[in-house]
Amino acid sequence: MFPLSPFAQRAAPSARLAALIASFVLVLAACSAGSAASTSPTASTAAVATPTPLLTAAPTPSPTTVPAFPTTLTDDEDTAVTIPAEPQKIVSLTPASTEILFALGAGPRVIATTEFDDFPPAAVALPAVATYTTVDVEKIVGMEADLVIAGGNFFNPPEAITRLRSLGVPVLVVYAPNLAGVLKDIELIGSAVGLSAEAKAMTATMQAGIDAVSAATAGLVKPRTFYELDVSTGPIYTVADGSVYVEMIELAGGDPITTGSTADFSIPLERLIAADPELILLGDAAYNVTAEQVKARSGWNVMTAVKTDAIRPANDVIITRPGPRLVQGLRELALAIHPNLVLPSAAPIPPVP
Amino acid sequence: MTTRGGTLTTARPRVGRLGSVRDRPVLLVGLGFVALLVALVLGVGVGSVTIDPADTIAILAHRFLGLDIPQTWTDATETIVVELRLPRILTAMLVGCALAVAGATFQGLLRNPLADPYVLGTASGAALGAAIAVLIPVRFVILEFGLIQGLAFIGALASITVVYKLSRNSGLAPLTSLLLTGYAVGSLLAAALAMAMYLSGAALRQIFTYLLGSFDAATWPRFLATLPIILIASIAIMLRARSLNGLLLGEQAAAHLGVDVRRERRILLALASLVTAAAVAISGLIGFVGLVVPHVVRLLVGPSARLVLPLSAIGGAALLAYADIIARLAGGIPVGVVTAILGAPFFLVILRRARTGYEV
Repeated sequence: MFPLSPFAQRAAPSARLAALIASFVLVLAACSAGSAASTSPTASTAAVATPTPLLTAAPTPSPTTVPAFPTTLTDDEDTAVTIPAEPQKIVSLTPASTEILFALGAGPRVIATTEFDDFPPAAVALPAVATYTTVDVEKIVGMEADLVIAGGNFFNPPEAITRLRSLGVPVLVVYAPNLAGVLKDIELIGSAVGLSAEAKAMTATMQAGIDAVSAATAGLVKPRTFYELDVSTGPIYTVADGSVYVEMIELAGGDPITTGSTADFSIPLERLIAADPELILLGDAAYNVTAEQVKARSGWNVMTAVKTDAIRPANDVIITRPGPRLVQGLRELALAIHPNLVLPSAAPIPPVP
Repeated sequence: MTTRGGTLTTARPRVGRLGSVRDRPVLLVGLGFVALLVALVLGVGVGSVTIDPADTIAILAHRFLGLDIPQTWTDATETIVVELRLPRILTAMLVGCALAVAGATFQGLLRNPLADPYVLGTASGAALGAAIAVLIPVRFVILEFGLIQGLAFIGALASITVVYKLSRNSGLAPLTSLLLTGYAVGSLLAAALAMAMYLSGAALRQIFTYLLGSFDAATWPRFLATLPIILIASIAIMLRARSLNGLLLGEQAAAHLGVDVRRERRILLALASLVTAAAVAISGLIGFVGLVVPHVVRLLVGPSARLVLPLSAIGGAALLAYADIIARLAGGIPVGVVTAILGAPFFLVILRRARTGYEV
């Protein structure tokens, strides 16, 4: 380690601390890439119960696309955000928000995104103003952005959000702890950019898609499912209690094996063996983890899933990206858990013009 | 080793060609101020947005000299220069100055070349305070000072107070006791910090950012609130340079010189800790500056605290200012990494040239 911090310059416990820090950050970067949906016990319990009204200061959303600006919206951190006019220079600081903006048709008004945006291709080409740890406030101010959409639950540094607001840039903070939260965020972003009718149409389509998957898997036997996020650094990272993964796996017809805690993201091997997964889904398949590697791991051969060869890849990015492709992710997850499942065809999101 | 009127005239190290600057502290001070001025201009002039230097100068002249210049720049440009870059570069300088002065003081007080501003547990205390602040779900801001700054400041001061109180009841020699107690308390706090980080979930990244140190959060109110603390405490330390020189010779020698050892040690410890706490509260933990700058200064001008303290202040300010400029140009890498990359080779060169007679 280079002397990262004063801790790293000293003796053994400090070096271990530095290694701990580094591994944590790697894990964050590797497995929660682009997903603001990491678990937060308080936020998720709060939001599960409230499919609440969305707008505070726009009581009658007009049926036309004529936007009502100025408008004041309450974001996911309960901050009242006033947007004076229809935003023309939008900065998106989370990949999911970027996807939402483009799916709604506000893509041409997006002027900057993050360096880890990967979809749609038009968004990847835009200038990047955020990394995993920083937000370039100077650049955003220099671009004269008139709306910034940021990730809550520490996805973007709260410091940078406060800073932008103090400089007069409206910042809408979104954080979806569950599926209902994703739909709510799509409508929130729709209202912020003057496309609330489009947003409502999209969430209605998405809800129908979710309901279709849920109905298709309703009568099926739910296999005990272990969803692997990452094992490359040693600990076995998987689904924490209360996370959006739990909801997704249950909807897709699985019985998720969790870490047993909302704050713990790793599961001890003995707990996993005791839970005896009937199905292992490799969310880290994109990082070249294969079923053969899983079978070769010491101690794993006692699990039913390994004995019966029920180890399948899962497209983690789509499954966990809290945006318009969520229904697609849910369908893929359902097919990964029940390969013989027949799903009714679903309306594409975003709608094909 | 003899002393005349409290000034150390010990055998100075030979520093090869650097010897020519050794006897000219005034020249060094002059060079230091020029370096700071250049850093100020660069710090305001460069960044991720390209701004015409003429606009930069015009904006500064307009805002700070009150000149009536027709506005040829955009409001966004003015915001970037005045609200983002200027407080940032000034904060970098202030923190650099604070850490170098505190480092020089701790090294002299503890008579230990490995001492730095964080040696007595301040870093762990501040980091734990910041981590707790991140984990408390309340957003609480007064004058732009959030919980992080407040609890980091309190954590740093609390940890050093605990270390000091615990060390006094020990049968060991005071300095040994202080250092070992500092290490023990620091380790305990570091363990608590590791636990807090383990439990922090998504907040981990924010804690990690604090541990790496950065000036992203620099604002005018924060700079102006920290400025008097650091300035007054640093000047108070410099006014006690004579005591620090005495303590450097050892307790007995200091007592013979008329230094009230216990009292002076306590005061200097408190002042240096205050300076450190203020610095870590606004910038997070930035390593290396406080350890190395005083050594470089001592190698250049000898060990007298009268020279080491003010020159360390200037050197530390310059090092952090340039390190932050480079860090920003390199896409926002942690400033602590840059200070080490810039400073370590320079320090090694100076160390190799110092052949004889160097000690803290």
